[in-house]
Amino acid sequence: GKRRGRRAVVRCQQYPPLRALQASAALRGASDEHKKEPWASSSQQHFDSPPAGHQPEQKPQGPHPSYTGQGGQESEDYESEEQLQHRILTAALEFVPEHGWTAEAIAEGAKTLGLSVAAAGLFHSDGSELILHFVSECNTKLSELLKKEQKLVQLGEAEKKPIDEFLRDAVEARLRMLIPYIEKWPQALSVLLLPRNIPSSLNLLTSMIDDIWHYAGDQSTDFNWYTRRAVLTAIYNTTELVMMQDSSPGFEDTWRFLENRVADAMTMSNTATQVQSTGEAVVQGLMGAAVTIKNLAGLNQRR
Amino acid sequence: MAAVRLCRCRCRALLSRSAGALRARRGLAAGPEMHFGFQTVTEEERREKIYQVFENVAKKYDVMNDSMTLGIHRVWKDIFVHKMNPCPGTLLLDVAGGTGDIAFRFINYVHSVRQRQLQRKLKHHQNLSWQEIFESYQKDKFNSLGDSQVVVCDINREMLKVGKQKAQHLGYSEGLSWVLGNAEELPFDDDKFDVYTIAFGIRNVTRIDLALQEAYRVLKPGGRFLCLEFSHVSNPLLSRLYDLYSFQVIPVLGEVIAGDWKSYQYLVESIRQFPPQEELKAMIEDAGFFKVDYENLNFGIVAIHSGFKLHNENTSC
Repeated sequence: GKRRGRRAVVRCQQYPPLRALQASAALRGASDEHKKEPWASSSQQHFDSPPAGHQPEQKPQGPHPSYTGQGGQESEDYESEEQLQHRILTAALEFVPEHGWTAEAIAEGAKTLGLSVAAAGLFHSDGSELILHFVSECNTKLSELLKKEQKLVQLGEAEKKPIDEFLRDAVEARLRMLIPYIEKWPQALSVLLLPRNIPSSLNLLTSMIDDIWHYAGDQSTDFNWYTRRAVLTAIYNTTELVMMQDSSPGFEDTWRFLENRVADAMTMSNTATQVQSTGEAVVQGLMGAAVTIKNLAGLNQRR
Repeated sequence: MAAVRLCRCRCRALLSRSAGALRARRGLAAGPEMHFGFQTVTEEERREKIYQVFENVAKKYDVMNDSMTLGIHRVWKDIFVHKMNPCPGTLLLDVAGGTGDIAFRFINYVHSVRQRQLQRKLKHHQNLSWQEIFESYQKDKFNSLGDSQVVVCDINREMLKVGKQKAQHLGYSEGLSWVLGNAEELPFDDDKFDVYTIAFGIRNVTRIDLALQEAYRVLKPGGRFLCLEFSHVSNPLLSRLYDLYSFQVIPVLGEVIAGDWKSYQYLVESIRQFPPQEELKAMIEDAGFFKVDYENLNFGIVAIHSGFKLHNENTSC
């Protein structure tokens, strides 16, 4: 995750001049967590023990882990295959509104980087990797946004939002990132639901929901953890679907729908506690009634 | 009699294959001994013999392909071009593409992709006047391939002649050019092509490593190398059946249909001499290609190897 990337950067700094041969700095900044250390042997696993607390692992790669098969040919001068693929996908995003989530968009993206259009062959022809890349990028942006807000609250420069407003704003911010691609997004959703892609897309979805709850201050370690995630996932998915066919100006209908769902969820949690205490009260009442009857029938007496 | 000859051939095959493969891997120009089928010959002899083989079979090449593979070679080539998934604007170099099978399929594929693109464009512009629609058709009539081009390169003049005749017969005129050239020394500049394909040809190249290096040279950064070739069947039962079919049926077909036993004997033997999938993959990686992998068709009877040129030569240290 991010911890891993930061440790990598420290080691990389020993050889600064050799690194920057091919990449643009802006994209490097964005791809910080996807950097693979060039001289790490392929057999070495970079899985440090997972850091305490909820740091979601954001896996950038889609269903096909790319392998170089060159076993360590990545020297300091070359960016790795993965970085190049990452750059191509990022460049391809601007062609998505026109070409859709297809190999054509990837080919156009490769062209802007000075590569041949055949580089689109590096990826699947149905655009899965492109979509997963986009989703992962959006999730990263959301995380950064939430972290910034949290920092402001910690510094005392902003008010801590109540939970329902926080969730609402987070989901809205995340869904707004879809607006430039909204026309072709239904196509993307269907590709994400292909059996091949479900593990990755589910992973990305759950880590995003996890992220939001983490920044919302959720510290639960009991069953509530699951219910909260399930509830927010449902809210997010349904709002996304509403957004697909929303034609109101500025997507007002969608945001209103979101507000109502979040409100529902809040009352539901209140209702849940109410139900629980009601349940307890009812049980106690029944117990009391049973004891009373026993008393009346004389069964409780000890002769 | 034939069985004895087969046994002896196999023994010699084992010896010459290991020697030949070793030399091929080391790429020694000094070692003059190479394999021609199961015989051992010098490099020069090998080139000459192969040239003669294809000179003899050129006219009947397609007919023989159909009868030997029972028409399945068409499916293989279709899968091959499908895997390439070219978009309009691609520049393809088809090496050892003699009779043009891959080139024609490429043109068909790109043409249909282009048609779909144009249809989609028109669907978007629903409010055009008839005049504008007419003009767009006119404009795109001269661009039905979207600037895609294929260069067919072959070392054998006879094969190219047959290919040109076929193209004329089938009506392919646009985006096609025919060049005489040697895969080990291509007559093209660096960084020119988007895709380099060699279908059922790399087996006949005398110095495979040189051909791979040339492929790397002429490809643009981001370009793709694709190779369709007979390969090794790992399944033992299938392998036995395949051997039986290859050595007993194919040369006979060759004699009956093309009147040439020896050429088809060579063909079958050369398949056995060719390095298996993993070895070829290693050779492709050695030439500098990245993301090299292969896909077996029909359990390994045929394999498609693919690799990408990801870096510009000039930036390598």
